[in-house]
Amino acid sequence: MTDLFANLWLGFSVAAHPYNIGFCLLGALVGTLVGVLPGVGTVATVAMLLPITFGLPPVGALIMLAGIYYGAQYGGSTTSVLVNIPGEATSVVTCLDGHQMARQGRAGAALAIAAIGSFFAGCVATVLVAALGVPLTSVALLFGPAEYFSLMILGLIFAVVLAKGSVPKAIAMIVLGLLLSMIGSDLETGAGRMTFDIPELSDGIGFANVAMGVFGFAEIIRNLEMSQESRDILDSKIKGLMPTRQDLIDCSGPIVRGTILGSLLGILPGGGAVVASFAAYTFEKRISKHPERFGRGAIEGVAAPESANNAAAQTSFIPLLTLGIPPNAVMALMVGAMTIHGIVPGPQVMTKQPELFWGMIASMWLGNLMLVIINLPLVGLWVSLLRVPYRILFPSIIVFCCIGIYSINNSPTDVIIAAVFGVFGYWLSKHDFEPAPLVLAFVLGPLMEENLRRAMLIARGDASVFLTRPISAVLLAISFILLAIAMLPMIRKRREEVFVEE
Amino acid sequence: MAEGNKATRDAGGFRFKVRGPREFYGGLVLIGIAILAIWASRDLAGSHGFAFGPGTAPRMFAVLLVLIGGAIAISGLLVDGPPIEKFAYKGPAFVVSAILLFACMIRGISLEYIGLPISIPSFGLVISTFVAFMVSIMASREKRWFEAVLAACGMTLFCVVLFVYALALPFQLWPSFF
Repeated sequence: MTDLFANLWLGFSVAAHPYNIGFCLLGALVGTLVGVLPGVGTVATVAMLLPITFGLPPVGALIMLAGIYYGAQYGGSTTSVLVNIPGEATSVVTCLDGHQMARQGRAGAALAIAAIGSFFAGCVATVLVAALGVPLTSVALLFGPAEYFSLMILGLIFAVVLAKGSVPKAIAMIVLGLLLSMIGSDLETGAGRMTFDIPELSDGIGFANVAMGVFGFAEIIRNLEMSQESRDILDSKIKGLMPTRQDLIDCSGPIVRGTILGSLLGILPGGGAVVASFAAYTFEKRISKHPERFGRGAIEGVAAPESANNAAAQTSFIPLLTLGIPPNAVMALMVGAMTIHGIVPGPQVMTKQPELFWGMIASMWLGNLMLVIINLPLVGLWVSLLRVPYRILFPSIIVFCCIGIYSINNSPTDVIIAAVFGVFGYWLSKHDFEPAPLVLAFVLGPLMEENLRRAMLIARGDASVFLTRPISAVLLAISFILLAIAMLPMIRKRREEVFVEE
Repeated sequence: MAEGNKATRDAGGFRFKVRGPREFYGGLVLIGIAILAIWASRDLAGSHGFAFGPGTAPRMFAVLLVLIGGAIAISGLLVDGPPIEKFAYKGPAFVVSAILLFACMIRGISLEYIGLPISIPSFGLVISTFVAFMVSIMASREKRWFEAVLAACGMTLFCVVLFVYALALPFQLWPSFF
């Protein structure tokens, strides 16, 4: 326990450095800004802003990226409440009750409750990350290649189970992602694999290019297709920011439950904030004494999902920082950012670079505090951003992404690759394939192959090693059970029901 | 599966009828990609004793993709699904051209190695950004030229200030042939 406080103290002393506070504030602001803009998802935002952090020291860069990530969660909720357009997928459910509250003139209370809920969730999650960091790291030391491989299988299966739509299609995306990740030089022999003799492919396809293509460019192409719906922006002044006493009492339960649910779902690989917010909303509706109020401006319907998505956003750092395994696409980008700064994510980060590890954790709490302080007074500013028409917005995003991708390696080829993935992502969406499992598999691919090869080599070619080592066997068994459950048509129907509100 | 058997009987034996075009063609394309991957990794060494060769994993996953793609395509024959939405061409074409133009202009590119006697000189950040903005704005249905030029200038200025001055990234600002 004293260790925990000593570590957190170290963290706060790093995070409170004026530079780092600045980066944290900047990240949170930029994240909110982009989170507010509909049509620019969190993954695209982080990918887009990745180059901005290159020139910074590693701690500052990661603090800023983390700030962008949870800033985007806040920003998304603002537009959900005020305009009924979710800025992010994580705040889709916030629209349901949040916008109804706004129509009843209670926009201020909805926004305040979202901020308070998120802040509470952020505080709990920060402590959780700090408390679980050390024990999980020691678990990580027990892991050999076979266990790592099985754990990644589990993560990918989670991504399949939690993805919307058909299970075989999600599996296909995973396999395709793994296959794409193998393009480039072989780890051990250096042989060029599937490069088609194109020299630019010998280093493999950059992760940021794939992410920017399927999330950034493809999203823009899809949005252009939809008719430009008029946004019904609430013009009236937002007054009465503070929720009433009764609101706070009503919300205390949902906030706590949302936080617990979100924290759990965030730790699980493949899950993350989107699922957490849906799950929290459904759960509140189910246990409520007056479920009919939901969808008509129930403040619990704002408090629970907003707490859950923020908690999940933060606890999803746990597998990344302790095991080195990104549980979702945004965390995968964080791996990319860490690699660029020469940090290998994993258990060794905590022992070798404690100031980075704990600094980042402490900065999460500071970031959440800043978000409460900046988000509420700036609501008016964020709303005015929504008045920027999409016809100006999308070329700006395209240009910004192009410069961003180019600047990662000063490589025009990377920009072309991203364009190819943009078109491919558009095609995928027409055929109901989800890009998220593909991107996650693409990131895990090299790690998985390396561990698979090492495990097989150590076991002298005996594939049963994955079943004879106990931890590995348990992980694989859980994966198998999960997959079996997802394949059962009965439950698949239920799954669709959960997402039906989207 | 029972449902599937009934469907084939209704169709009268083995006559193909695409019931779920999204699944059927999606699955076929995945098979195509997998076959391409198998072809591309044909020269790579396979397993050697206990050790995986560079070609083992790619072939393993490519074969897996053929199987899953096949399963998805077959499900498209057996189960009714929604039709494929129409693809838009104009919007994507402008967006993609804008991105490709940016890629070619930012540092200049020589297309000689793919057999085209074209080489594009380096235009630098300012012109590339402006051109990419103007081309991509054509993907939109509403066109307001004055506003577009103004926005393009603004965005170019913003990017130059952000990337070149604030972040000090090494960009060439103006064309090299001036």
